[in-house]
Amino acid sequence: MKDVTRPAIYRYPVLVRASHWLWVVALLVLVGSGLQIFNASPNLDASDKSDAARRVLAIGSPAEGIGTTTIFGRTFVTTGWLGWTGDGMGSHGAHAFGAWLTIPGYQDLSGGRRWHLFFAWIAAFCWLAWLISSAIKGNLRKMVLASSDLPKLWPMQAYYLKLRKTPPSYDVYNPLQKAAYTAVLFVIAPLVVITGLALSPGIDAIANPLTTLFGGRQFARLWHFAGMLLLLGFFAIHTFQVATQGFVNQMRSMISGWYQP
Amino acid sequence: MKRRLFVASTISALTSCGPITSALSRNDAVRSVLDSAEGLNHALIGTRGLAREYREQDVDRQFRVNGFSTPSDANYLRLLAGNFAAYRLVVHGAVEQPRGFDLAELSRMPQRTQITRHDCVEGWSAIGKWSGVPLAALLDAVRPRADARYVVFRCMDNDGAGNLYYESLDLHQARHPQTLLALRLNDAPLDPDHGAPVRLRVPTQLGYKSAKWIARVEVVGSFANINAGRGGYWEDQGYEWYAGI
Repeated sequence: MKDVTRPAIYRYPVLVRASHWLWVVALLVLVGSGLQIFNASPNLDASDKSDAARRVLAIGSPAEGIGTTTIFGRTFVTTGWLGWTGDGMGSHGAHAFGAWLTIPGYQDLSGGRRWHLFFAWIAAFCWLAWLISSAIKGNLRKMVLASSDLPKLWPMQAYYLKLRKTPPSYDVYNPLQKAAYTAVLFVIAPLVVITGLALSPGIDAIANPLTTLFGGRQFARLWHFAGMLLLLGFFAIHTFQVATQGFVNQMRSMISGWYQP
Repeated sequence: MKRRLFVASTISALTSCGPITSALSRNDAVRSVLDSAEGLNHALIGTRGLAREYREQDVDRQFRVNGFSTPSDANYLRLLAGNFAAYRLVVHGAVEQPRGFDLAELSRMPQRTQITRHDCVEGWSAIGKWSGVPLAALLDAVRPRADARYVVFRCMDNDGAGNLYYESLDLHQARHPQTLLALRLNDAPLDPDHGAPVRLRVPTQLGYKSAKWIARVEVVGSFANINAGRGGYWEDQGYEWYAGI
C-alpha cells in the first residue's frame, strides 16, 4: 500500500472510456458473429477464388462424430473442439466452431451477418470518434510509439523478464504499451476493417485493386481471420495485464476516469 | 483471489455471449436496430463501378453447384424433357409492352460475355464465363412504366415446402451493364444444375441474388405484397435484400 497519499489523476476522458467499453462489446460480438460466418464455409485459401490446392486452413468433419483441423496440409483430430462441436441445443454436429463460441449461439448465417455488419459500424464509428477527440486533445502523442521510444523497447522487455531492476523512464504509457496500442489501433484494426471490406463484391466493383492488394477475395478472408486472431491475442495479454497490475485501480480508472498512481 | 475471480468472470462473460445474443436475435426491436446497417451499406456501397472481369484461364471448368439442384417441379421437368422448346420467358407487370421471349429470340438479342467471380454468402468464390442478354436490353424491349421500381425474378425451383424461389433488384441494379440474363456458362448452354435455361448473374452482389431457372420477370412498384415482402426467398429467411457486402 505505498504512495496512497499521491492524488488520483483524471486519466481517461469520457469519450475514451465510452469507446473503450463499446469496443469490448464490439470485439466480442464481431469475433463471435465472425466465427458464425466462418462456419458456413470453414476453409481459408491463399487465393482469389476458392482453391483447394492453396488451402491454408480447413476445419471439417470427415465422418459422424469426428472433427478435424487441417493447417498447411497437416491434419489434426480436434473432435469436440473444432469440426465436430456442440450445437448449442444439447447435441453435437458438424460445426467448425462450437455454438458456445458463435453469435447467435446456434447455426444461423444470416443472424451472424446481421450482428457482424452492425457492430462493424459501431467499432468503426468508435474508432473515428476516439481518434478525432484524442487528436484534438493532444492525447495521441502519449499513446503512439515515437522513434525516441524505440531504444527503450528492449530495456522495458528486460524489466518485465526481471533481467533489469528498473524500467526505462517514460511518461504515461511505457514503450511496450505504446507499441501494442499503436499496432492495434493503427495497423491491425484498420487491416481487419479493410480486409473485411475487400470481401464485399460491391466494394470490389468500386475498388478492384483493394481486393487484389490482399491476394484476392479468399486471401482477404484469410487476412481478416488472421487479424482477428491478433486482436484476440492483444485482448488476452491486455486483460492479463489489467488483472495483474492493480485490477481494481485499472478497472476504476476505465470506468470513472480516475487513476491512483 | 481477485485474479481468479477476474478470470472466471471473463470466461463466463465470453460464454454467455451466445445465449444472450441468441435470445436478442429473436427480438424484433433488436433485429430492426441491427438491420439499420443494411441501409447504410446500401447507401454507401450501392451498385457502382464494374465487377472485375477475368481471363479464360481463371475459369472454373467445374463450376460449383449450390442451393437447390435441378428443380423437381413438374412444370420444369416437362420443359426440360422438351429441351425448353416450349419455354417462354414472360416479362410482365408495370411495363408498356408485356411479352414472352423464347430461347431463339433471347439468343438473337444483343449478347454480352463476361468472366466474373461468383461470391457466395457462405464465403466461397468461383469464376465462370457467362453469356447472355443484358437485363437492360430486355427492359428496353418491354419499356417499364413510370411507376416501376423493382424487377422481380420468379423461378421454377421450390424448396419442398411449396415456396418458389424468387429474387428482386431495383431498376438501378437491374440496368447495371454486368447484370445479365445468362443463357450460357463456360461456352455451353446452361445445364439444369446451373439454372437452365435462363438465370440471372449479378456479379456486384452475393450469389443468392443470381437467381436460377427463371420463369418470369415481373416489373413492380413494390415487392411488399410478394410472399413475406422482403424481396426474395432468402431475404424472407432473414438475409439482406442489399447483398453487396
